[in-house]
Amino acid sequence: MTTYTICVFTENTFGILNKITTILTRRRINIESLTVSETERKGISRFTIVIHHDSRDVVEKLVRQIRKVIEVLAVFGYLNDEIIFNEIAMFKISTPIDAKPIDIETINKVHKAWVVYWHLTYVIIQKTGTEEEIFEFFDYIKPHGILEFVRSGRVAVSKSPQTLVDYLPEADWEYYQ
Amino acid sequence: MEFNEKQTQTAELETQEKAAPVAELINGSHAVIQALLKEGVDTIFGYPGGAIMPVYDAIYDYQDQINHILVRHEQGASHAAEGYARVTGKVGVCLATSGPGATNLVTGIADAIIDSTPMVCIVGQVATKLLGTDAFQETDIIGITIPITKWNYQITRADEIPEIMAKAFYIAKSGKPGPVLIDITKNAQIELLSKTFSYKKCETLVSYHPRLTPKETQLQAAAKLINEAKRPFLFFGHGVKIAGAEQALLNFIEKTDVPAASTLLGLSSLSVDHPNYVGWLGMHGNYGTNVLTNKCDLIIAVGMRFDDRVTGDLSRYARQAKVVHIEIDPAEVNKIMNTEAPVVGDAKIALEHLLPLVNENNHHGWRDEFKVFEEQEFEKITKPELSATTEKIKMAEVIRGLSDKTKGEAVIVADVGQHQMMTARYYEFKKPNSFVTSGGLGTMGYALPAAFGAKVGVPEREVVSIIGDGCFQMTLQELGTIAQSGLPVKIIILNNNFLGMVRQWQDMFFAKRYSFVELQNPDFVTIAKGFGIDGHTCAHRTDLNDSLDKLIASDKPYLLEVLVEKEENVFPMVPTGASVSEIRLE
Repeated sequence: MTTYTICVFTENTFGILNKITTILTRRRINIESLTVSETERKGISRFTIVIHHDSRDVVEKLVRQIRKVIEVLAVFGYLNDEIIFNEIAMFKISTPIDAKPIDIETINKVHKAWVVYWHLTYVIIQKTGTEEEIFEFFDYIKPHGILEFVRSGRVAVSKSPQTLVDYLPEADWEYYQ
Repeated sequence: MEFNEKQTQTAELETQEKAAPVAELINGSHAVIQALLKEGVDTIFGYPGGAIMPVYDAIYDYQDQINHILVRHEQGASHAAEGYARVTGKVGVCLATSGPGATNLVTGIADAIIDSTPMVCIVGQVATKLLGTDAFQETDIIGITIPITKWNYQITRADEIPEIMAKAFYIAKSGKPGPVLIDITKNAQIELLSKTFSYKKCETLVSYHPRLTPKETQLQAAAKLINEAKRPFLFFGHGVKIAGAEQALLNFIEKTDVPAASTLLGLSSLSVDHPNYVGWLGMHGNYGTNVLTNKCDLIIAVGMRFDDRVTGDLSRYARQAKVVHIEIDPAEVNKIMNTEAPVVGDAKIALEHLLPLVNENNHHGWRDEFKVFEEQEFEKITKPELSATTEKIKMAEVIRGLSDKTKGEAVIVADVGQHQMMTARYYEFKKPNSFVTSGGLGTMGYALPAAFGAKVGVPEREVVSIIGDGCFQMTLQELGTIAQSGLPVKIIILNNNFLGMVRQWQDMFFAKRYSFVELQNPDFVTIAKGFGIDGHTCAHRTDLNDSLDKLIASDKPYLLEVLVEKEENVFPMVPTGASVSEIRLE
């Protein structure tokens, strides 16, 4: 299975997520992760969809089908080595008084993770990185007792020197200052 | 006293309204109709109900400008709109209420997307404030129709109506046409627009740019392959008809001298009389066209999409051939067949641009190869079916009889099944834009409403629907619509008391275990008469000629039931999973 990251630029209107996901579900392609947010241009959303698939051919066909959705402005499919990508994870870690204290130095220096909230009985640690790095940290912190763990979808930027929005159709786009 | 006070207040309000310039504001419902008029719509197929009543109230005022046809079931409206769109090239419009009204359109919408038929469905919806409350007749029709529409949109404010309607029509008819659904909440139908109604037709969208003129490099590459080919084979499909590319196709074929075969939906785009026409493709297509698909060195596919019913087993389909694919939808290129030379664009423009680039050629030797197969097919299948001496009439005789009597120039609307395949085999189409059938979806019950819609679209042409006894019972209530309109739609029921195609498969592939395919049918002629439509039953070969004459002579709707042989199989046939070259003649 190869990991593909599909970036979709769309107009930000009702129901676009549904319009895109039905294209995947109809072909029995599972979404591994999904991130949606507005871009630097007003009213334009950027979807980052991560899928695993054996066949590049199928993924290319999928990209062309997504392009057919009327509100979709542009679609790009990437392999991992074509992009810089990251995820963010949060861990709620149990810190009872009698337990072994967490090692902030290792957490910071080795794992590049940060405690973002302190409570009497737990801390919340934020870790940014790739899926592998996050799970490395997961294994490290697990003995302390993970009360909650959440991981975001992938965000990705292509290594190409061109700006993706350059590929968007000509129009009077409004920018955020 | 109170009553009087109210009266006074109302009177005051009226005076104020008249005085103010806002008096020219119209409500959402009127805006919908005004938009339809601006789009040149003169016909709507619809059915009223609670959530669409404001629009129906508005239509009441426009009856001199818009012909609203009351169907008997919303599925009938969607198929009638399809039939209308297919023969006119205009956008078919249907109107229905929320909930069941909207869901009843779904089969027609699914049919329209797979057969690229331009359609705008306008449906009512509960008021915006009731959305998501499981209100009476509330259904998430947007959610339901996302996978089967080219575009859909929910209007919740009257002010959105002009822009969204313009967008709907543009999307439905441009590029690869398809159905668009517009869901209008009841409050948006009732509200006044905040400013004077003004309508600007949509001509372009930021996010949607169908390419009409192919890239020069693609044309050059295609022309090179066409000029080099020794055994080129042209396939034409529905795209030719949609683009109105019949003449361009003819010019191309005559210059290059390539043999040309049709898909099911391409039928009638090239006259069967043309020397380069070699038949049609696919599961029940002709013998030579299928076998020689695996012997050609180049496929020139024009406006077709290599449906699985055309290709049979793909791993053994035309592996030896290169492919030029003229296609308006880039997602269709390389979807099924790897294509050496894709030409993305409108079929007509592409063929016109290709014409000066291709060489005049002579492929007589190659074209003659088809004749050998034609003769075999004629001896083995066509001749016995057309000159049968069996007790019961064969479907082929009825279709060929009709073909001869209408000189191959009628609009034929076939339903789905054996009779559909027989129609494709035996009707000799001589005039473009003459065949309407549900190809991709295979929707039983399509033909009766679609034939009606077609007749509304081209009342000057003879429209004959060929329907099986099973199919007819799926939408027969539309006899009421036909009767009320008085339009002379001609209906032929080929009655074998079976779901014939399923029975054929059970016969051939399921050891003749006839599982739920035999029908105890009503008296179709009596049913027609109950609707006020004249008709009769033809049971004997000797009556067939007169029966067809009577059908054609009628200036009113007419139903002819023909009792045909019960267990007749359609051949040739490429069994599922077989290669096209393994086509069976028996």
